[in-house]
Amino acid sequence: MATVSIRDIRKSFGPVSIIKGVDVDIADGEFVILVGPSGCGKSTLLRMIAGLEDVTSGEIRIGDRLINDVPPKDRDIAMVFQSYALYPHMTVAENMGFSLRLKGTSKAEQATRVGAAAASLGLTPLLDRYPRQLSGGQRQRVAMGRAIVRDPQVFLFDEPLSNLDAKLRVAMRAEIKELHHRLKTTTVYVTHDQIEAMTMADKIVVMHDGIVEQIGAPLDLYDSPANRFVAGFIGSPAMNFVEGTMTEEGLSLPSGTILPLHQRPPAAVGSALTYGIRPEHLQLAPVGTPGAIPAVVTVVEPSGLDTTLIVKAEGGPMTVVLRERVSLRPGDAIALRPVANQSHLFDAAGLRIASL
Amino acid sequence: MPVSPKQARTLKHRSWVAFLVLPPIVFMSLFVVYPILSAFAYAFYEWRGLARGEFVGLANFREVLFGATMAPVVWNAFSHNVQTLIALMIIQNGGGFLLAWLLYKEPFGFRFHRVAVFVPVVLSTIIVGFLWKLFLNPNFGLVNQALLAVGLDFLARPWLGDSATALGALILANAWHFIGFPTLVYLAGMQRIPSDIIEAARLDGTSEWQLLKTIIWPLVAPSTTILFTLLFIGAFNWFEIPYVMAGLDGSPYGNTDVLGLVFYRTAFGNQSASIQNFGQGSALATLIFLFIVVFASMLTLWLRRREIQF
Repeated sequence: MATVSIRDIRKSFGPVSIIKGVDVDIADGEFVILVGPSGCGKSTLLRMIAGLEDVTSGEIRIGDRLINDVPPKDRDIAMVFQSYALYPHMTVAENMGFSLRLKGTSKAEQATRVGAAAASLGLTPLLDRYPRQLSGGQRQRVAMGRAIVRDPQVFLFDEPLSNLDAKLRVAMRAEIKELHHRLKTTTVYVTHDQIEAMTMADKIVVMHDGIVEQIGAPLDLYDSPANRFVAGFIGSPAMNFVEGTMTEEGLSLPSGTILPLHQRPPAAVGSALTYGIRPEHLQLAPVGTPGAIPAVVTVVEPSGLDTTLIVKAEGGPMTVVLRERVSLRPGDAIALRPVANQSHLFDAAGLRIASL
Repeated sequence: MPVSPKQARTLKHRSWVAFLVLPPIVFMSLFVVYPILSAFAYAFYEWRGLARGEFVGLANFREVLFGATMAPVVWNAFSHNVQTLIALMIIQNGGGFLLAWLLYKEPFGFRFHRVAVFVPVVLSTIIVGFLWKLFLNPNFGLVNQALLAVGLDFLARPWLGDSATALGALILANAWHFIGFPTLVYLAGMQRIPSDIIEAARLDGTSEWQLLKTIIWPLVAPSTTILFTLLFIGAFNWFEIPYVMAGLDGSPYGNTDVLGLVFYRTAFGNQSASIQNFGQGSALATLIFLFIVVFASMLTLWLRRREIQF
C-alpha cells in the first residue's frame, strides 16, 4: 500500500491539451474516484498513473518514488479495465496467475495465491473455464481477481462497471467497496457515473475539461459544491438553476418572485446571479405564498419511495422530489417554497459565493 | 388436376430459381468438374502422344510411385517441395509475423513500409523470377557484385548453378515475392486484438518476447490457420519460380526439381526428350491433388482447434 501524489500533471496530444495541470493527493488506503463527463481527461489521468500514457509534464509519485518514466510493470500497480481485458486463450486460473507466472513464481505458490483470490471472489468453481464461458459479472470478478493476485500497492479501475446491467452494477459496487474495506489497498477508480462516485468513494475528484473542479468527500461535494459545474454534476436528479438579479429585498427571479436572503451575499445590488437548489429542497406551498416560486406541473413520476415532479417554472423546467405522495396532475398550478439554508448562489463566473 | 394459386406461385418461384441456378451449374460442370474428372480418369489409361490408349488400371500410379524411371525423380522433387514448405513456413510466414509486429508498433514511416512490403506481391511471378535471376547472375548479378564490393568475395558463387545453393536461392526469391501477404494478414490479425488485452499484459509484466509468445501468437491463430494452409497448398503446387529461374529440368541436375515441374515434363513434354505421357502425368497430378486435400484438411482442422474467440 502507498500514497499517490500527482503534481501539476499535464498531457497533450500534439497541440491538443487534454489535461491542464492537475494536483491530487491520495492517502494510503484511500478509495479515490475520478469522476466527470466524457472527455474530461479522467481516463487519461488514470492511464498516466498506470504508465500506459506518457506524462507531458508534472510528477506522479507512488509512495516516495517518482514513476514518470518507470515502465508499467515496475510500478507495482494493477488495473481493471472497462472491457475486463481477460486473455481469451487462458482459463480463469491462468488469467489470474499470469503475472505470477511471468515473475517465475513457483507453481505451488501460484496455485495458493490464485486459489485464495478465487475463493474470496467466489470464483473457485470457475477456475477451469475460459472467459467466453463466463457472464459479464463473472468476467468482471476475474479481472478483479487478476488484480488482487498481484497484491499491488495501488489498484486502478477504469470504468469497471460500465458494461454491466443496472442490477449487477449495484451488486458489484457493493462488492468492490467490501473488497476495498477488506484489502485496504489504495484505489483510484474512474467513472462517469456520479452515483457510483457518491456511493463508493472516500474522496471524489470532479474533473471537467482537463482540470480539477473540486476534490472532497462525497457529501461535502453534495452539500458545498465549489461551483456551478460540480453543483450540477453531483446529485441525481440534478440541481435546479434559475437566473436572478440581486436586489435590496432579496434575489429577484424572472417570474417576479423575490426570494428572501437570510444573509447578505458578497454581491452588489443589480448583479446577475445563478440560484441553485436541489430537487429535494423544494416543498409544496399554497399558491400565492410570498417567496414561493409559482410553477405548473408537466410530468408526475411516482416511484413508490418518492415522487418526482417535473414542472415549468421561471421560464424553464425544474425538478422537484417529494417524499410524500401527492395527487397532482399535469397542468396543475402549484407553488414551491425553497427549504431554508439549502440553496446556493453562483456568480457570473460560476463560482459559489454563498449558501442560503 | 387443377392447380391452386398457391401451388402455381410455388412452381413459378421454383422455375425462377432453376433459371438462375442452372446456367452456372452447367458452366461449372462443363469447364471445371468434367476436366477434373477426366484428368482423374486419364490416370488409368495408357496415353502417349495424341490419342488415348488402353485401360491400364493402377499401372500409371505404380510407375509414378515405385517405377525405376519415374519414382526417383518424383521422390526427389517431393523432398524439394517438403524442404520448400519448411523453409517458407519459417522465412515467409515467420518473417511475415515479425514484420507485422514491427508495423503494428507503428514505427516512423510505418505507412510507407506497410505499402512497400506488399509491392512485390503485386508483381508478376515471371517478372520476380527474371529479376532475381539477374540479381543472382554469377558475373554481373547484384548479389555477387555487392559481396565483392564489401570484400566478401569468397562468399560469391554461381547461386543458381551450385547444387548447394540453387533451391535455397529459389526459396528466398519466393519469400521476397510473397512475404508481404503474410505480413498484411498477420497485421490485420494483430489489429483485431483489443488494445486493452495488450495493455493488461504489459501491466502484468510481459517482456516484448513474452508478449509475442504468450499473447500475440495465440491470439492471431486464425491468421496462422489461413496462412499455413495456403502456404502448404502453395508449396506443393510450386511451379512458376522454379520454372522461370531454374528451367523445366530443375537444374542443376534436378536440384531444384519440384512436383509441378515433374508433372509438366511428364504430361506436356520435355523439350530435350520430347516425351509426352498424359497417363502418368494425370496419375501424378491426382496424387498431388489427393495429398494436398488430405494434409491441408488435417492441417486446417488441427490449426482451427487453436483458435479462440474474443
